[in-house]
Amino acid sequence: MVNASGTHLTWVDGAIGSAETQFFAEGMRCANCARSIRKSVGALPGVRHVDVNLATARVSVGWDPAAQSLEHVLDRITALGFRPVPMLGDAAAAARRSERRAALKRIGLAGLGSMQISMYTVGLYAGAFSGIETDLARLLKVTSMWITLPVLLYSGAPFLRGAWADLRRRSLGMDVPVAAALVLAFAASAFNTLRDTGQVYFDSVTMFIFFLLIGRYVEANMRRGSLDATEALARSLPASATRLTATGGSERVALLEIRQGDRLLIASGAVIPVDGELEAGSALVDESLVSGESAAVSHAAGATLLGGAVNVGAPLTLRARTDARGSTLASMIALMERAQSERPRVALAADRAAAWFVGSILALALLVAGLWLWFDPSRAFEATLAVLVVTCPCALSLATPAAMAAATARLARQGVLVTRANALERLAGIDTVVLDKTGTLTTAAPRLGAIDACGALAAADCAAIAAALERHSAHPLAAAFAAFDRGLAVEDVSETSGMGLEGRIDGRTWRLGRHDFVAAAQTPAPRGAEERVWLGGEGQPFASFEILDTLRADAADTVRALRAAGLTLRIASGDRPGAVARIAAELGIDAPRGRQTPADKIALVRELQAGGHRVLMLGDGINDGPVLAAADVSCAMGQGAAVAHAAADMLLLGDSLAGIPRAVATARGSARLIRGNLRWALGYNLCAVPVAALGWVAPWVAAIGMSMSSLYVVWRAHRFAREAQ
Amino acid sequence: MSISLLLIPLALLMLGAAVWAFFWAVDSNQFDNLDDEGRRILEPDEQDSPGDPP
Repeated sequence: MVNASGTHLTWVDGAIGSAETQFFAEGMRCANCARSIRKSVGALPGVRHVDVNLATARVSVGWDPAAQSLEHVLDRITALGFRPVPMLGDAAAAARRSERRAALKRIGLAGLGSMQISMYTVGLYAGAFSGIETDLARLLKVTSMWITLPVLLYSGAPFLRGAWADLRRRSLGMDVPVAAALVLAFAASAFNTLRDTGQVYFDSVTMFIFFLLIGRYVEANMRRGSLDATEALARSLPASATRLTATGGSERVALLEIRQGDRLLIASGAVIPVDGELEAGSALVDESLVSGESAAVSHAAGATLLGGAVNVGAPLTLRARTDARGSTLASMIALMERAQSERPRVALAADRAAAWFVGSILALALLVAGLWLWFDPSRAFEATLAVLVVTCPCALSLATPAAMAAATARLARQGVLVTRANALERLAGIDTVVLDKTGTLTTAAPRLGAIDACGALAAADCAAIAAALERHSAHPLAAAFAAFDRGLAVEDVSETSGMGLEGRIDGRTWRLGRHDFVAAAQTPAPRGAEERVWLGGEGQPFASFEILDTLRADAADTVRALRAAGLTLRIASGDRPGAVARIAAELGIDAPRGRQTPADKIALVRELQAGGHRVLMLGDGINDGPVLAAADVSCAMGQGAAVAHAAADMLLLGDSLAGIPRAVATARGSARLIRGNLRWALGYNLCAVPVAALGWVAPWVAAIGMSMSSLYVVWRAHRFAREAQ
Repeated sequence: MSISLLLIPLALLMLGAAVWAFFWAVDSNQFDNLDDEGRRILEPDEQDSPGDPP
């Protein structure tokens, strides 16, 4: 489904007459850009919806193919000044790489050029005091001009293009005053060079470009650092599958061609493409991608296997329950995408403030120019340029990314990886933490609790028998019994999937597993029987074992530290309510919720958010993916299923919870740092503007002031990054 | 003055060379993966790389 323009359509729904496509919009930098795409494309006839995800620069458009063509939609986006880039696979990665390379080249040229020009400028300034030959001064200026020209046109191109696109959209972005200052300064310097009098500002121009490009690069890297979660999910599904035909042969079909009822052959080691029913025999599958359960699970014939699971056992035959779009994994992708599209808010406010700031700068520059033209036209240009350069939003725009980069670096050393640019900002504002249980608060390995003997044998003997049986099982529970193993000899051990084990010890047959497997059919199950593991012989239960989760060693400390930080804690787990309540009681957490589906967890998060709370979700495994995306900010355990990492804003490394309170503290510190930086940058501007407007600041002083203010902001961030060491 | 006439073009040439070298480095994947390369020295050697002495 690749159309003429090369854009990959993720899917086209023929039945209802609606088409949908997704692509990256290259050149999208601010919420303003996102808004203009949404408004402009949404206004096209036949377009049903437009979703723009600023963090991933991703646009999704749904339209009626009868009333609108894809070419039109893409043309409109190109006309707005963005480049639509097809999203899937190598093309998107290549597009990202070439954008990064172009950015590096621009920085390199600007850096080398500004170094060279700085040297000439030092010569010119020193010469102004010690007497320089006019020919030499002119040579230095002309050379500077020829170096500045490519720096301006090549390295400065993003600012010039951005400003041009802004002006055509009739909106004000950060690029407008930057481009105005660059063009004005270069034009005036070139003019002064050619007529051989007056000031030149080539050093200011190149340094200005260099610093701004570095700020942009840092920012872009932080945004791109996150792998698109849903893309990773989609990539985990195979592109095609082997379908068995009615005549007994087999054929390869594309994923989207699989229909309900198809019989599929899943090779050993292959990924199961859609949810389906196991036809015969038993199967061993690794469902860690779908359920977060890391141990391989065995299923009997008739059981449902989930799409996205890996067949780690023998080849198996599967009858498809749904088509590819209806499978569990696909619906998770959809949930996650929806949650992600409902997200931005903070960025919008920040950008509106920036537009206001830029508007004020331009108005102020015009005012200054007007007044100076009235009083003393000969100084009007210098004063205006000084205002434009000195108030450059450089320090302001560096204030946030520099602090974020510093905090990110600091957290990385503390064992927390931040994968989303906005995560820190939101983490600083949270007041509630929702914790998953299994694999998060507890380790994956369960342990044995109380043993209740109900037959003729003592509890210890029952445990020894159970341990002997479990020796032959690969279930994670088996390790819990190992301590009770007395080395009893077992014969004829067999395992019934989902039920339990059977084996003979001293000529007597024993069963270990669910109550209905162990006890005879007519024996009524006591209350809470399904929360325990039973041992029995000849239909008679002998003992029941309580299975406990093992709390992580640092869980209690973490909970205490989070509480000390003023946060409210909640537990939401898919596990049995009894087990969840026990863990919650142990940690002193109120109102635990057990047996929660992903939709339940999302509802809980939404309910908290509706109550005005800001929620941090700490989870593990991909069934948490949609919840992670719905929370204000999310964190996944480092060794959880791979895709949860991509969905989470942050990733805890090193199998320890201790990073969480540290991350909260660092995020709050970085929020203080950002506020301090912004206050400083604003204060600097408030002091510098009147001085520049009065004409007391030469543009070169303004450029130094601008650079120093940026450097100060970066230095503060650097200091913050090192504080933790 | 006359020495400047020599030195300034020379500096320009060196600037051009530096820019060319940097662009070449970027284009030949030198900056594509800055994180993993440093870690590579800690990983076990690949088997029998052809350049190794016997």
